[in-house]
Amino acid sequence: MNDELLKLGSHTFGSRLILGTGKFSDTETMIRAVEASGTELVTVALRRFNRDKPNDDLCAPLAKLSAVRLMPNTSGAINAKEAVRAAQLGRELSGSPFVKVEIHPNPHHLMPDPVETYFAAKELAADGFLVLPYIPADPVLAKKLEDVGCAAVMPLGAAIGSGGGLSTLEMIKLIIRDSNIPVIVDAGLRAPSEAACAMEMGCAAVLVNSAIAAAQDPVAMAEAFALGVQTGFEARQAGLMLQSEFAVATSPLTSFLS
Amino acid sequence: MKTTLPEWIDPAPWLAREYRVVDVEHAIGTESPDESTLAALLSPAAAEFLEPMAARAQAITRRHFGQTIQLYIPLYLSSYCSNGCAYCGFASDRHTDRHTLPFDAVEKELDSIKTMGFEEILLLTGERSSRADIDYLRTCVRLAADRFHTVAIEVFPMEQDEYHMLAEAGCVSVTMYQETYDPEPYDRMHRWGPKKDFFNRLDAPARALAGGLRFAGLGALLGLADPYHDMIALYRHTRHLQKTYWQAGVSLSFPRIRHEAGGFTAPHPVDEKMLAQIIFAFRICLPDVPLTLSTREGAPFRDGIAGIGINKMSIASRTTVGGYSGNAPEEGQFDINDGRSLETFQAMLHGKNLEPVFKNWEKLYRLTA
Ligand code: SF4
Repeated sequence: MNDELLKLGSHTFGSRLILGTGKFSDTETMIRAVEASGTELVTVALRRFNRDKPNDDLCAPLAKLSAVRLMPNTSGAINAKEAVRAAQLGRELSGSPFVKVEIHPNPHHLMPDPVETYFAAKELAADGFLVLPYIPADPVLAKKLEDVGCAAVMPLGAAIGSGGGLSTLEMIKLIIRDSNIPVIVDAGLRAPSEAACAMEMGCAAVLVNSAIAAAQDPVAMAEAFALGVQTGFEARQAGLMLQSEFAVATSPLTSFLS
Repeated sequence: MKTTLPEWIDPAPWLAREYRVVDVEHAIGTESPDESTLAALLSPAAAEFLEPMAARAQAITRRHFGQTIQLYIPLYLSSYCSNGCAYCGFASDRHTDRHTLPFDAVEKELDSIKTMGFEEILLLTGERSSRADIDYLRTCVRLAADRFHTVAIEVFPMEQDEYHMLAEAGCVSVTMYQETYDPEPYDRMHRWGPKKDFFNRLDAPARALAGGLRFAGLGALLGLADPYHDMIALYRHTRHLQKTYWQAGVSLSFPRIRHEAGGFTAPHPVDEKMLAQIIFAFRICLPDVPLTLSTREGAPFRDGIAGIGINKMSIASRTTVGGYSGNAPEEGQFDINDGRSLETFQAMLHGKNLEPVFKNWEKLYRLTA
């Protein structure tokens, strides 16, 4: 077993940084950021596929990058039925077995719907997709999604685009502890140091979009995130030292042992 | 016989390493325990750290279980057994007077126990036999479920559909000690009988959980084989079940061979200090897993470790068939070293500011047919 590689289904990836491709000022910057990040997996919203209008299409330029695999996502869908349809169309258009199930019925805060996400993920996994659901940081939901055959779970660190960092830290730790599939923090990260922190905790990868797209220099920030992810991963492998000394008892508890 | 353990439970990678004082210090304080943590805490280097381990174990026990000790009581239904476990007083070559409780006697025993105040009962038998088969057991589970909220069994390994039948009869928990996780001494200790099948036993808790039981109790009989090997495998077994049957509750016990019938001497004796070290180590590594200690251990040890790692105990137990209500034969499955009454034990717990808990589950949540 090679611990260096991220595994999703039977696919392996050298980079543990996954990029979202929306919100960039222009396609060229997005492509340069993708290249600078060293990522091997990017997610593209089906709603940003536009075959009829090449300069409005995110799919074709990304498909040209040979080092990068595409993962269509279902953002824009507000229920399981729509997400399943979007996933099927995305697979048809991109040829990718991966799908990021993303269902946020509220267009303002964009929080994922756990119930609809569960049903969509279940159906798509049964249909042979490698499903990566974007979910609230809920350890029970994470196990239920594992049970229905998801390839990974992607709990949010904070609300999409909020830059809130790892506000769900304790829940993500619990998800990691009991998960048999990769746990990928998706959404909320603002700084490469937070990506490093997620990796130090034991996340298998992180997915970043806004923090790169909305940086002053997206290309440089993409590279910085790559370094952050790598640093955190290496630190995890190296084993962190303790935060504080262990407690010293005030009165002996073991005097009952002869 | 296949003698290698599958990867998911094999402790070998952690046995090969040496653990130093720095590893132990790290392990005591860690917030993300794993196999290396347990191995370090079980190592000889950790023997000098019993006091800080106890302090940490107590803090964790309080955090997860509060100032409580759950109580349960065993009921031996049958002492017939076709197995040849070298360490057991009920083994088929030991000349004990054998009994199986008829149903009216089961009811009498259950009523006696109920009067004492218990709400969790553990039903035990030897190997499957014509006297104590699945139908007998199902009836006993029903009789117990009529009276107690929590009915647990510690019997022979069964198939998934049989576990399901017992779940429908009101059973919620199975205890199945692997005895040792090392296939080679396992084969030697289990001289004959169905219990010789190591892997059938190993998979039994998983079958029980798949069959609808909610709780599984695991353990290894300390003294039979290398405790480092067995305890790391036990930890891995626990984690495996927790990750696979994530809705199930797993609990652990730490039975230790004392003086069994038949003059068996433990090849790898575990003394009280080592037993305490094992319990502290498990509490640190599995903070939210119930850890149980039976009356095999003596009162001073049990009183000392109650609340410092251990959060569940039996008391007032008889290991003889028919021991609660009548004329029980002398020889039990193992010797009881804490023979105090429930009242005396409760008084001890209160003296340590620990609250005895009798009912910790509700029969409403049972699987119904
Ligand atoms: S330990 Fe159990 S199976 Fe083995 S001889 Fe004793 S009663 Fe029978």
